[in-house]
Amino acid sequence: MIELRDVTKVFPGGTRAVDGVTLAVHEGEFCVLLGPSGCGKTTTLRLINRLVSLTSGAIAVGGQDIQQLRVTQLRRRIGYAIQEIGLFPHMTVEQNVVTVPRLLHWPKAKRRKRARDLLDLLGLTPAEEFVRRYPAELSGGQRQRVGVARALGADPAILLMDEPFGAIDPITRERLQDEFLRIQREIRKTVVFVTHDIHEAIKLGDRIALMKEGRLIQHASPSQLLGQPADDFVRGFVGTDRTLKALRLTTVHEIMDAEPAVVGEEETLAAAQREMDSRGRSVLPVVSTGGVFLGWICRSASSETDLVPVGGRITPYLVLGSQGMPLNEALALMLESATGTLAVVDEERRLIGVVTFDRLFEQLRQTYAERVASEVES
Amino acid sequence: MKRHLVLIILLASLCALTGWMTSLGRVGFFTMAPSAKLLSAVEEHLQIVLTAELLAVAVGIPVGIALSRKSLRRGAPVLSAMTSIGQTVPTLALVGVFSILMGLGLRSAIVALSVYTLLPIVRNTYAGLVSIDPRVKEAARGMGMSTSQILWRVEMPLAAPLVMAGIRTSTVLNVGSAAVAGMIGAGGLGEIIMTGVSLRLVEMVLQGAAPTAALAILLDRLLESVATTATPRGLRLSLRRGSP
Repeated sequence: MIELRDVTKVFPGGTRAVDGVTLAVHEGEFCVLLGPSGCGKTTTLRLINRLVSLTSGAIAVGGQDIQQLRVTQLRRRIGYAIQEIGLFPHMTVEQNVVTVPRLLHWPKAKRRKRARDLLDLLGLTPAEEFVRRYPAELSGGQRQRVGVARALGADPAILLMDEPFGAIDPITRERLQDEFLRIQREIRKTVVFVTHDIHEAIKLGDRIALMKEGRLIQHASPSQLLGQPADDFVRGFVGTDRTLKALRLTTVHEIMDAEPAVVGEEETLAAAQREMDSRGRSVLPVVSTGGVFLGWICRSASSETDLVPVGGRITPYLVLGSQGMPLNEALALMLESATGTLAVVDEERRLIGVVTFDRLFEQLRQTYAERVASEVES
Repeated sequence: MKRHLVLIILLASLCALTGWMTSLGRVGFFTMAPSAKLLSAVEEHLQIVLTAELLAVAVGIPVGIALSRKSLRRGAPVLSAMTSIGQTVPTLALVGVFSILMGLGLRSAIVALSVYTLLPIVRNTYAGLVSIDPRVKEAARGMGMSTSQILWRVEMPLAAPLVMAGIRTSTVLNVGSAAVAGMIGAGGLGEIIMTGVSLRLVEMVLQGAAPTAALAILLDRLLESVATTATPRGLRLSLRRGSP
């Protein structure tokens, strides 16, 4: 969808902002341009919609050389979102959102509908109320949503985003990222997204292009970038805690024990004890006859001779996991829980699996092993 | 509301003063200007001020726009130098020079005044345009607006408050300066003032000066409300809150 071939930009004054970058972004792919400030990521982005002119090399968008298109025509086909400050303060939310449709002479009724649909999509509801507001009447997060809605205005196939969530507080940013991911799953745009935040890159990107001093250092999926950094710069940039960051890429569902040993609440403590011995475990989940998770039974609470049901000796649970939860959150919950084990439940709180430190460690070891293998290879 | 009250009282006393002076009829040997003459002088005065102002706006705004363009920005220091020099030249001298070049009368007075008025308008238009957040302009460019679409849909609405402020100050300035035009036979309230000065008749000077001041106040108020309507609502909100 977007192809950069040996792209170079030298600014007057001699700065080589972008130096021989070759990069392809496929249709529907979310590509993150990542790097420290001054690495040329923003310039690379701006080369695509010709806000910056090429020095050498070629860029094609949808198979067409961008130099062959009229510059305004090219830009109207590409959504562009920058930090929230880029909204037009003298226009209402509606006028801001339909800027490009207006430039493309869409009929008025179609523009009206588009503005309301987009505000709905971005969770600015009731849309009918937001259309009339001005940017000064919105919060930072709301302005940012309007900025994204405006970029989507004329339903472009490509979206260029330059640190769109840069200027907002961490909590709102996190929420906007989640929402944007949800929207992206729905609308499947080809996105090029600039950020200097490694966490944001890992969370959002299908692939990450890491840049340094104008050059593309590594273009890979987040797990490859974390597991197999191309060189010391990448290793340094992703941080020594890269294994922990990689946890975010795996969900609980992938590593949980889906057929865990359980104890029914009617069973006796002696039976629970035997089960623990045979499994080599010190805690086991207790479930009701309907499969609903009730809590934990610990070795200290039972004895071989006890014939009372386990129901009375349950250690209550403090935290619960769900299938879609990323492993970094699961790990945090496990550290908080009394038993060091995480019960994974469905919407009806029925137990569907268990995550233990052993399983988590196994997962980390695998990531590490892959990296060692690749290092030995190269 | 308090400000309004002060202005209304001021305006009323200026009008009363004018009326009183006119009603004197004769002072010693001299006859005061009759009310018909006073009215036509006010009319002439307004005509001079408004024509000069329109001329200055028609020239000043395009010049201000041109200077704010990237290719001409180098000319901006020259502009600020011209502004400071231009404002040190007394109106009297400017009007005098134009009357020598173009002859006595209304036409040279109007041209002289519009030249004098030009500078605040050019300066404010320029300042309004260059003070716009570059990221707003960049967003407009990135979305595919042409240069003229950016100018008329984004830049000018955002610069409107400053441009209007320039027009307003220059108009008020103009009302006072136009009195000098009486010297070169352009008519207006200046003529009554000049006659009063040459006859050493304070009453007649007041008869011309009081309505001049009243006119300045009136035009200022009028242009203030025009400026408020010309400022886009969203912009008024953001100016008040001091954020984008």
